[in-house]
Amino acid sequence: MTDFMLFLPELFFILGALLFFIFSLRKSPNPAGFHRWAVVLSAVGLLITVASSHQEGMLFFNCYRVDLFSQIFKVLLALGTVWVMFSSSELKGIDSRQHAEYYFLIFVCTLAMMMLVSSVELLTIYVSMELSSYSLYLLVPMRRGEDRYFESGVKYFMIGVTSSGFMIFGISLLFGVGHTTYVPQLIKALPAVIHQPAAIVGLVLTLAGFFFKLALFPFHIWAPDVYQGASNQVTTYIATVSKMAAAAMIIRFAGLSGGASPGLVKLLIVLSIASMTFGNLVALIQKDLKRLLAYSSIAHAGYILIGILTLNSQGFASAIYYAAAYLVMNYSVFMVIMKVADDGHNLQIKELAGLYKRSPLLAMTFMLGLFGLAGIPPTAGFTGKFLVFAAAVHKGYLFLAIIGMVNATISLYYYLIVFKAAYLLKPVKEYPAIAVDMWTRVMSIVLVVMTIYLGLFPDQVVSLTEAAARTLF
Amino acid sequence: MTAMNMAGFPILTTILMTTIIGLLVIIFIPPEKTKLIKQVSLVSASLGLALCLWLYHAYDFHKGGLQFVERVLWVKSLGIYWFNGVDGINLPMMLLTSVVLFTGVWTMWELEHRVKEFYALIFLLVAGVYGVFMSMDLFWIFVWYDVSLFPMYPLIAIWGGTRKEYGAMKLTLYLLAGSAFILPAILFLWAKGGGHTFDLFMLQKIGFSVFDQKVAFLMLYLGFGILAAVWPFHTWSPVGHVAAPTAVSMIHAGVLMKLGAYGVLRIGMTLCPQGAVYWSHLMALLGTIGIIYGALAGLAQTDLKYVIGYSSVSHMGIVGLGLATLSVNGINGAVFQMFAHGIMTALFFSAVGFIYDRTHTKVIPELGGLSKTMPIASSFFIFAALAGIGVPLMASFWAEFLVLTAAVKVFPVAGILATSGMILSALFMLRVVQRTFYGEKNPKWEHIPDVSMFLTVPRVVLMSCILFFGLFPKVMLDVIQSTVIPFVTRF
Repeated sequence: MTDFMLFLPELFFILGALLFFIFSLRKSPNPAGFHRWAVVLSAVGLLITVASSHQEGMLFFNCYRVDLFSQIFKVLLALGTVWVMFSSSELKGIDSRQHAEYYFLIFVCTLAMMMLVSSVELLTIYVSMELSSYSLYLLVPMRRGEDRYFESGVKYFMIGVTSSGFMIFGISLLFGVGHTTYVPQLIKALPAVIHQPAAIVGLVLTLAGFFFKLALFPFHIWAPDVYQGASNQVTTYIATVSKMAAAAMIIRFAGLSGGASPGLVKLLIVLSIASMTFGNLVALIQKDLKRLLAYSSIAHAGYILIGILTLNSQGFASAIYYAAAYLVMNYSVFMVIMKVADDGHNLQIKELAGLYKRSPLLAMTFMLGLFGLAGIPPTAGFTGKFLVFAAAVHKGYLFLAIIGMVNATISLYYYLIVFKAAYLLKPVKEYPAIAVDMWTRVMSIVLVVMTIYLGLFPDQVVSLTEAAARTLF
Repeated sequence: MTAMNMAGFPILTTILMTTIIGLLVIIFIPPEKTKLIKQVSLVSASLGLALCLWLYHAYDFHKGGLQFVERVLWVKSLGIYWFNGVDGINLPMMLLTSVVLFTGVWTMWELEHRVKEFYALIFLLVAGVYGVFMSMDLFWIFVWYDVSLFPMYPLIAIWGGTRKEYGAMKLTLYLLAGSAFILPAILFLWAKGGGHTFDLFMLQKIGFSVFDQKVAFLMLYLGFGILAAVWPFHTWSPVGHVAAPTAVSMIHAGVLMKLGAYGVLRIGMTLCPQGAVYWSHLMALLGTIGIIYGALAGLAQTDLKYVIGYSSVSHMGIVGLGLATLSVNGINGAVFQMFAHGIMTALFFSAVGFIYDRTHTKVIPELGGLSKTMPIASSFFIFAALAGIGVPLMASFWAEFLVLTAAVKVFPVAGILATSGMILSALFMLRVVQRTFYGEKNPKWEHIPDVSMFLTVPRVVLMSCILFFGLFPKVMLDVIQSTVIPFVTRF
């Protein structure tokens, strides 16, 4: 019975997915009804996940560990899913006949990621990872409209399959040097053999699979096209929820080396610097808002990696905090995009002109989201950067903090350009005021309060993330 | 937030709250009620002024040291404290902030465009400034520092004038590039101090190796130096001043630039005294170049606001030179100069703002003979110019006098050059005054009304501040000195 309770959030999402599977068999689709179901189900899912957040235990022949680390990420995954479901009220980018499938796939994907963050056995990890990936491969090309959107789906699929091929190869190498597929035993076995090339290569290739998910340079090539090509809701899901799972898994695997591998650390440092710099520099010239956010996400992957590459619990804690902050800020921005582009088209930066007049509340949510991403206090994004850089400097990587801050300054330029469009520019043509319903109002205020609260009062969350990071060792 | 350590009423947090509550109230007022917004702003600014005056009065300079301390543990695992207090260095700065905010809000009484957002942003900016001056915890100093910088972008880009978007972007990027050095330096000191406290005075007790001090001080000096318009990082400053609307120029030149010098003094020189000694020649050199370069560049300008912008570069050079001497008189003078210059530039920009609002030009050759048509407005500018030259009886006279005497003693060459720079600065100030306010009268401006009674109030407040501290410099120097004397023993 207790085992059953440990698996409750996942079970609930399985049931939700089944329900939408049955809905998808119906002949006459009912989009509004589906949306209501999706919001209610995901909200209940979130409540269940929060309620079971303090559980601990092992399941399925010790393949599956429920601890504070996994539960924090499950809460983040469920929270992101609720938010995406909430914003799916006007799912104009996807044919209404496919709405049930859309919800089905999102639920399956969230389920897979929840299983991913709890898995502590390499093959379980691989299977969960593939389940989530295949859901996304199907979600991306669902967008109706031109063929070039379909192209991005194919691109995502091809690159994704290749990276998962590398990953399974890496896993096989890890098994070869560690003689086990269980992560807790690998943690004990690997530090002794970490100097063997096979161990390093295995670890790096396995990490590459997750780097692909996080869109870290040089595994980022899919991101701009997929962000632009997928419907706004699916992009939001990829940009928020799926990043959480990727960050969690990178943290788990980086911990495998036991913190005693200068080669690995050097590699991660290079990747982190390249990712920040490349993402920010290319973002400077973007015109399409979703493309810009794709490049900004590449840069943010670099910031998260700074926390992770310290390979100690302080750094992992800071990375968890950064991931949580990133979820809130990025969703703030995407929620506004989905509201402004309510017919589901790709929003250009200049179309934001006059947003502050069309809806002051949305403009404020948008502004705080942007400033959060830029790392300006008193937002959660600033505190996240502060913690990540503090962990790096504490470990002796002062130059990483300087490079990170210089990058933050570069990124400020394009965030300010977007901010300027929303607050300063006069619209070329008259746009109508945006209808903001009561729920969106509530959601905006919740996001604004969360952004500032996490930024100014990080104490409780920081101690929570530190407790979570300690369970990894 | 466990260990409560509150000695009495948290007066400093209350001062900070006057701006934050003012900001929140303004957010909830409908935008079309502009009158109400302005009244709320003025009430909240006056409240801050009254509290700061009381604070100044209540500070016991015989005892010296940190007073009105509030200290609460904020983030346990990193050792961040909500730690506020005032001593002889930040007390004048708090007073300066409240005076400039009060007069700035009043000066902008005629604003009509997007009033609500303007005042909301001004209060956010000033909350940051108060926060930096009162915090004694490195984390909070940095947080408030950044909070005070980013509202500058919308403030200039929306309400600004000449080349506003360029000026706003340049200024914001420059200043935040400064934080790219400050944050790593703060984290470096924190990590070297063991990584469990951001408390300034606990870190001071721990002490750092000489090498670490040199590294950290250089980063802090570069980072904060950008905001203090240290030559050659000053280029954002005249452009930004010219682009900004009146109250923003006042607050920016009057208060915000002081944050830079204050940061060098408060964090850099407190935690890295050996680093300060090592780099003091560089500071003196850049300060002196700033004094002379600012004056020379000011001489060549035709735009009134550019003239003041460059005079600020020159005057902030004096602050830098004063700090570099590492002596009682030098630092006394530097802190006093920060105060005096703040009030003086506020008056400058306030006077220019009025002239510009009425004539829609700030090009010197187009003006001319203004003292006949607008005698009151002209008198404000001329008064500020006299203060800028450092005429006796003005607050800045004492400040410049102290700095220059100290500089001549410590760095004879730089001191003498700086003193000659003062003559240049007198030259360009008088040139501007002569061309703008005397000479041929431009008939275009004949029918322009002079400053109304209501709008003279903020300018008179600023003028009386300059005069009061010029006549009674002891009122301020006693306070400053109480902290500076123990401070310099560490060099």
